[in-house]
Amino acid sequence: MDHEEVVRSKMTERYLLGELDPDARDEFEGHFFDCPDCALDVRAGALFVEQSKVVLAEKAQSVSADMPVAAIAPKPGWFTWLRPAVAVPLMALLLAVIGYQNLVTYPRLQLALNSPHLLPWVSVNVGTWGSGGPVISARPGQGFLLFVRIPPDGVYPHYIADLYNPSGKQEWSLTIPASPGQDQWPVQVPGADRAAGSYILVVRGVTAAGESKEVGRTSFELQVLK
Amino acid sequence: MQFQPFDGSYLERLRAGDYRAQEHFGAYFGALIQIKLRSRLKSREAIEDVRQETFTRFFVALRDGRIRQPERLGSYVNSMCNNVLLEHYRKGARLDSLDDEEEPQDFPDTGIDPFGALAAKETEKRVREILEQLSERDRRLLREVFLEERDKDEVCRDFGVDRDFLRVLLFRAKQSFKKRYGR
Repeated sequence: MDHEEVVRSKMTERYLLGELDPDARDEFEGHFFDCPDCALDVRAGALFVEQSKVVLAEKAQSVSADMPVAAIAPKPGWFTWLRPAVAVPLMALLLAVIGYQNLVTYPRLQLALNSPHLLPWVSVNVGTWGSGGPVISARPGQGFLLFVRIPPDGVYPHYIADLYNPSGKQEWSLTIPASPGQDQWPVQVPGADRAAGSYILVVRGVTAAGESKEVGRTSFELQVLK
Repeated sequence: MQFQPFDGSYLERLRAGDYRAQEHFGAYFGALIQIKLRSRLKSREAIEDVRQETFTRFFVALRDGRIRQPERLGSYVNSMCNNVLLEHYRKGARLDSLDDEEEPQDFPDTGIDPFGALAAKETEKRVREILEQLSERDRRLLREVFLEERDKDEVCRDFGVDRDFLRVLLFRAKQSFKKRYGR
């Protein structure tokens, strides 16, 4: 590579700007490793570039406010779509939703929670199994009480009760701690969109070592009132 | 850093283990190797690995008398670095030295500062002065290119300039930087 040509074509600047193709880059490197003038030029240029990054990063904070914005095209980014024409109506909608929730929805829920009300209930006996279990009637989405009787055996420190819906899918699983002298537990089943039909409750005893064994199952019939 | 001619005497001093010659060699070629490798390797570790291996192999070759043209020392170092780099690409990040019995030599740490004794702060100060003499637009142009590493064609389009403008801008800034140190 001819040194005069290197200087004339600003090869150092092209190199530092990454403009040279791989062959030209290799050739230039072969040149400046042997040419002290070009070596100094490259080193000075590289040092200037590296230090500029430090200085320019600081100066980024104090870019002149009267820099003509029109001279520079805005960079596309995540928030360019969030223009006032879109953001303001969106925020108004969000405020309306929040207002409705705070003024209407939450007070209603609070009233419902704090008021006493009757729940349908049924008593089921684990260990008695057969068709035609007790029937319980509930409104759509209404919860109910299950009084679950488990014959005491003094073996298991706790039980696990699994409820299966008419299609055989498990709805929930509940841990019941065994208590001396107690053989019936009131289970509040939360309201849900349930299908009418036969529900099965399977109870398993769990040993201290974590091993579980079915101790019995029972069923009940849910009727959904219209 | 003052340039020392790479001649027979220089090689002899290197071969004899002259510390100043070694320090100069490490600083001079270490800087060039670092600049060369920055455009090819991402991690500082990889750059350092290749640099050290290049120097190790060089000194083994020097000891074995395989370097016969001191005036082409730079080309030799560059070629050696290319070979080490090629092996690095083929083998992955970890490279073993050619001679396991060779004591790993710790060469002086080199930056790319061509002026050796110049403190980093002084360099930064000089660069700051040069940048302050540029127009705000030119400073922003350099920032978009070097700091934010945006596509250069896009930046030139945004600023309404061509690539040659960018080269000239860098050329003038670099010349100004060199001039401040009497070169």
